[in-house]
Amino acid sequence: MLKQALKTLREGIFDNNPTLKQYLGMCPALAVSTSVANALGMGLATTAALVVGCTSVSIFKNSIPRKIRLPVYLVMISGLVTVIQLLMNAYWHGLYKMLGIFIPLIVINCIMLFRSESFALKNGVFISFVDALANGLGFTLALVLMGAIREIVGNGTLLGAPIVTTMPKTLIFLLPPGGFLVVGFLVAGYGYIYKKIGGK
Amino acid sequence: MTANNRIKENPVKYYALVLFVVSLVAACVMSIANMLTRDIIAEEIRKEFLHGLQAVLPPFDNSPDEENVELNGYKVYIAKNSGKLVGYGVSTTTNKGYGGAITVLVGADIKATITGVVVLQHAETPGLGDKITLVSWTGQFVGGALSKKFAVKADNGDIDQFSGATISPRAVCDAVNVAATILQKVSVK
Repeated sequence: MLKQALKTLREGIFDNNPTLKQYLGMCPALAVSTSVANALGMGLATTAALVVGCTSVSIFKNSIPRKIRLPVYLVMISGLVTVIQLLMNAYWHGLYKMLGIFIPLIVINCIMLFRSESFALKNGVFISFVDALANGLGFTLALVLMGAIREIVGNGTLLGAPIVTTMPKTLIFLLPPGGFLVVGFLVAGYGYIYKKIGGK
Repeated sequence: MTANNRIKENPVKYYALVLFVVSLVAACVMSIANMLTRDIIAEEIRKEFLHGLQAVLPPFDNSPDEENVELNGYKVYIAKNSGKLVGYGVSTTTNKGYGGAITVLVGADIKATITGVVVLQHAETPGLGDKITLVSWTGQFVGGALSKKFAVKADNGDIDQFSGATISPRAVCDAVNVAATILQKVSVK
C-alpha cells in the first residue's frame, strides 16, 4: 500500500508530470506563470480542487453510469470548486483576491477530467487521493519553475525581490510568446534529464 | 423486473434521472454554501472598500461609505473628522485598460488637492500593466491639483509609464481625470 502510494506520488510529480510529460493544463500554465507568486497560488488552488474532486469521483465511481460520466464529473467538480471559491472568499479574502480569476478556471482544467477519467474511476479511494495530490504537486512544481524563469528573465525579480540587475529585462518572457518559449525549453530540458536517468 | 433490466429497457430516462439527482445535490450544496458565506463576503468587501477610502482620504472618523451624495451618477463619499468636513472620495471606472475595465478610487482634501489614488479592480497583464496597483506608482498623483489634467510621459504628461505597458497607466490617468472633474464640482459646491 505504502509502496504503491510512493510510486504514484513519484509518477505524478516527476515520471508523468502533468505539464511536462502529459502536456495537460497548458492554458492555465501559460496564462498565470508570469510570476512565482501567481504560479504558486494557481498550483496550490488546483491541487486542492484536484484532491477533493478526484477523491469524490473515486468514492462515487460505482454509482456513476459510464455513458454519462463526463457530465456527472463536470457537475460535481464545478459544484465543489464553487464551494471552495465561496469559502475562500469568506474566510481567506486576501488569498481569494490574489487568485480570484484563476479559481473558476480550475473547473475546466483538463488535468482534473483526465485524472478522474484515467485514474480515479479505476482505482481505490486512497490511491486516487494520492494520485490527485501527486499530479497537483507536479503541476505546481512545473508552474513555479516556469514562473521563476519568466520572472527572472522578464522582470529581473524573484518573488518580487530584485535579483538580476546587470542584465536588461527581456519583456517578451512576460508576454504570451515568452510563455510558449519557456514551456518548450522546459519540456526539452525535462526530456533530456529524464533520458539521462534511464527513463523511457 | 430487476433494476438492471429496467435500465437496459430505458437507459435515457435512467441517465436523465441520475444527472438530475447529481445536479440537484450540487445545487443544494452550492446554495447552502452561498447562504453561509453571503454576509461574511459582503462584510469583507465593505471592509476592503473602507480600507481603500482610508488609504486615499485624509484621516476621518465617520463612515464615508454610508455618508455620500450623488453627482452626475457618481457616488461621492464624504469624509468628516469630529463633524468637520475633511475631504471627498469618488470611484470611477474606465474601459480603456489593456485587459478591460479599471476601477480607481480617488480622494481629495478640501483644498482641492489629491490625497490618494487606489486601483480597486483591474485585469491588466500580471508583471506588466498590473504595476499600476503599486503605491510607489499611484503616489505620483498625490499632491496634484484637481484642476490638473494627468497624462503619461508619452503623452507629454508627468506620470511614469512602464516600458512595454503604456496603455494601463494611460487608462488610470484617464479615470483619475474623470474623478478629479467630479471632485472639483463637489468642492465648488
